[in-house]
Amino acid sequence: MAKNEPPDFRQDRRSWLKTSATVLGSALLPLPAVSAETASLSPDTRPTGAESASPFFTPAEHSLIEELSETIIPADSHSGGAKAAKVADYVEQVVGASVDEQRKALWKEGLRLIDAMSQHRTGKSFVDSSPEERIAVLTILSDNEDLTDLPEIRFFHALKHLTVRGYYTSKIGIHDELEYKGNKVLMEFVGCDEPAKESS
Amino acid sequence: MAESEVDLSKTYDAIVVGSGAAGGMAAHVLTSHGLQVLLLEAGKKLPIEKELRSMEWPYDNPNRGGLPPDSHSLTLNEYTVRNPPYSAGFEKYKHLYNYVGNTDYVKNIVVDERDHPTTGTNYAWVRARCLGGKTNIWGRLALRLSDYDFKAKSHDGYGEDWPISYSDIAPYYDKVDLYLGITGVRENLPNLPDSLFQRPSKLNCAELQLKQGIRKMGRTVTQYRAGVTTDGLKHNKYRSRCFSRGACERKGGCDIHAAFDSPTGLIYPAMDTGNLTLRTNAVVREVLVDSQTGKASGVHFLDSETMKDYTARAKVVIVAASTLESARLLLLSKSRLHPNGLANSSGHVGHNFCEHIMGPRVFGQMKEMVGKPPTLDDGKPGGYYLTRFRNLTERHPKFIRGYGFEGGSGSRMFPEGTDAKGFGASFKEEIRKNQGSYISMGAFGEVLARYENYVDLDPQVKDKWGMPVLRFHYRFGENEKHMAEDMLQTAQEMFEASSFKILESSGKILTEGWSIHEMGTARMGNDPKTSVLNQFQQSHDVKNLFVVDGAGFVSASCHNPTWTIMALCWRSCDYLADQLGKGNL
Repeated sequence: MAKNEPPDFRQDRRSWLKTSATVLGSALLPLPAVSAETASLSPDTRPTGAESASPFFTPAEHSLIEELSETIIPADSHSGGAKAAKVADYVEQVVGASVDEQRKALWKEGLRLIDAMSQHRTGKSFVDSSPEERIAVLTILSDNEDLTDLPEIRFFHALKHLTVRGYYTSKIGIHDELEYKGNKVLMEFVGCDEPAKESS
Repeated sequence: MAESEVDLSKTYDAIVVGSGAAGGMAAHVLTSHGLQVLLLEAGKKLPIEKELRSMEWPYDNPNRGGLPPDSHSLTLNEYTVRNPPYSAGFEKYKHLYNYVGNTDYVKNIVVDERDHPTTGTNYAWVRARCLGGKTNIWGRLALRLSDYDFKAKSHDGYGEDWPISYSDIAPYYDKVDLYLGITGVRENLPNLPDSLFQRPSKLNCAELQLKQGIRKMGRTVTQYRAGVTTDGLKHNKYRSRCFSRGACERKGGCDIHAAFDSPTGLIYPAMDTGNLTLRTNAVVREVLVDSQTGKASGVHFLDSETMKDYTARAKVVIVAASTLESARLLLLSKSRLHPNGLANSSGHVGHNFCEHIMGPRVFGQMKEMVGKPPTLDDGKPGGYYLTRFRNLTERHPKFIRGYGFEGGSGSRMFPEGTDAKGFGASFKEEIRKNQGSYISMGAFGEVLARYENYVDLDPQVKDKWGMPVLRFHYRFGENEKHMAEDMLQTAQEMFEASSFKILESSGKILTEGWSIHEMGTARMGNDPKTSVLNQFQQSHDVKNLFVVDGAGFVSASCHNPTWTIMALCWRSCDYLADQLGKGNL
C-alpha cells in the first residue's frame, strides 16, 4: 500500500498546513508530526478551568467531536446517529480520563488539524461546513488511512475507533440500530430450522 | 455453605494447593470420601456475581464494559514486540493485566502482571489468582481425549504414550459429565468420544451450512460441547440451568453458574459435607518434607495480605496450582533429600511443557444472510466445533498430530465488521445489514511435548511475595509451523466448500501461551527415570504427594484440557482415598 500512496495528499497537506497557520494565526506547524509537548502546551488547547473535574475538551472541541462522530455514523431513516447517541460525551470521558498523554495530545492536535484542513478547503470551520463538505474532509483522511506517520491520519483512526465503540455500546446503537435480540432470558435458543442449501 | 475455621494445630488428611478445576475436583472427591481437607488458594474470594454482572448493558457501565482508563491489558502486539517481564514501559498505568483482562468484568479475576513477572522467552501466561482460578472465565469447551491421544506414540512414534487408556478414564469422564453438566450432540467419532450430554442448542444457519458443506470431505462440525448445564443439576443448589441469555462471550463468566466454575460446581458442595476447610490469600511457597521419611508433611504458606508465614500439616499433599505454578512449587521445594526440587529425581519437572498453538483463522460471510432481519444468534453456550481430521487414518507428509477449529457465527451485541474501511451512511448501513451474516473459526493444534521446552526458576527475579519467578525456555517447533500452514489452507478450503465469501484469513501464529492450555510439566509415566508421576498422578519419589492438574499430561492432544484434568483428578483421588484408607501413603 505504501507504494501506492497518493503523492497529492502530502503535497496538499503542506499547502493547507501553511495556509492554516495563517488562518489560525498560530505558529507554523512542524512537519511531519507535531510533538506531544507542543500540542499539550499550546495555550489554546489547554483545558479551561483549574478543577480536575473540568472537561478535557473545550466546548468548541466538544462540538467539533459531535459533528465528526455524526459524520462517521450519521442519523438515517433507520435510527439516530452518533450525536444522538452522545458519542462525544463518551469520547470526553475516555480521552479526558486517559493516563496516556500522547493519546490526549493526539486528540487535541487532531481536532486542530481537521479544522485547519476544513479552513484550507472551504474557508470554513468543520462545524460550519455543510454535510457534503464535512464528508469531503474525512474522505481525504479515509482514503489515505495507511499513512499512519501523519498525525491527522492517526487521529482519524482514533476518532473512528471511539465513535464505533461509543455508538454500538449505546442504547441507540444496540437497540434502535442493530435491534439486538439477546441479553434476555429465553426458554430455548431458536437456531436454524431451515435446511440450509446443500452446496454442490 | 458453612465455612469452617482453619485449624493449623491439626494434621489434615489432605492439603490441596489451588482451587481451580483440579483443586476443586480434588476437594470434592476427597471430602466425599470423608477425608478432612484443607484447601489453600493463593488469591482472594471475590464477590464473583458482582464482578461478572453477566446481564449488564454496556451503556450502564461507566466504561462501557471496558477497563478503567488507569488500567491496561497487554495486546498481542505488545506480547510480540516486547520481551518478558512485560511490565516494563507501562509505568503510567495503575494496573497492568494479561490479554484476557481487557474488560471491567474480568479485571479483578486475573493477576496484575507487575506482581507476577516472568523471564526468558515470550509467553502470554494468563493467571487468575482467586477462588476458582481460571474456571471463572474459561471458554467452556469440554472435550474428551481418545486413544488417538493417550496412545499417540504407538500411532506415530513420537514422544511417550500415556500410562492409561481411554477405557481407564471413560468412567470418570462419565462422572464429571453427570456431576457438572455438559451440553452437546453425539457424533460417534473415534477420535472425539461422546459425553453424556444434556439438551443441546441448535446450530444457526451459517453453522449448518458449514456442517453440510464439509460433510462430503468427511469432516465434522458439531455443536460446541460446553461445560454448561442446560437441564440443570438437581444435586447442586448453587448453579442454575442455562437460560440462553446470550452475550456469554462478551463477559467470559456466567453469574448464574450454568457454566461450570469450580467454586459453585465443586467447592461449595464440598463445604456442605462439613469436611472442607478453605483458606484464601494463602500463597504456598514450599511443600514440607519430613527429614526422616522423605515424605510430604505439609506446606509453608504466606498470607498474601499480611505477609505472615504459616505452616499447615497433612497426611497427603495434593498440588493443583495449575501446570506452571505446580512445577514452580515443586522446584521451590528443595531440601536435603530432594536437592533438585520435590518429586524431581528424574529431572523432568518443568520439562515436556506443551500446550495448543493458535492463530490461523478465517473470517467469512454467508451472503444469503445479508440484510435478513436480526436474529438472536448468541443465546447459546457456544458456537460450533470442527473436529480433528488430520493424521487419523492418513498421514500428513509434513506434520504429525492434529488440530480442531472453534468458531461461531451470527449477530452479537457488539457487531462484527466495524473495521471495514470508510465511514458515513454506507458504513453504518453495511454494519447493520451484514451483522448476522458473518462466520469465523480459529484453530487449536497440538504442540508436541519436548524435553527442551521447559521452565525453571529465575536465579534473580522474584515476585511480589519474594518468591523466585519462572523463567521460560519455550518455543514452537517445525511441526507446529507446518501444522499452522495446513490450518490456514484447510480453513480456507472448507469455507470455500461451504460457499462462504472469505473476507479475511490469517496464518499468523499467536504468542506462545495464548491458548491458556499449559500442560506437561510433571508428566505421568511408568518409568520413574523419564516421568514425574505414575498413572494416578502420584509422585514416583514421594508417595503421599500428588499433582492433579494439567502438569501430569503426557501430550497435549488438540482437545481442550479442562474436562480431562477433572476426570483424571477424580480417578487419582479415588485411588488416593483408597490407598490412604489402607495405610499405604
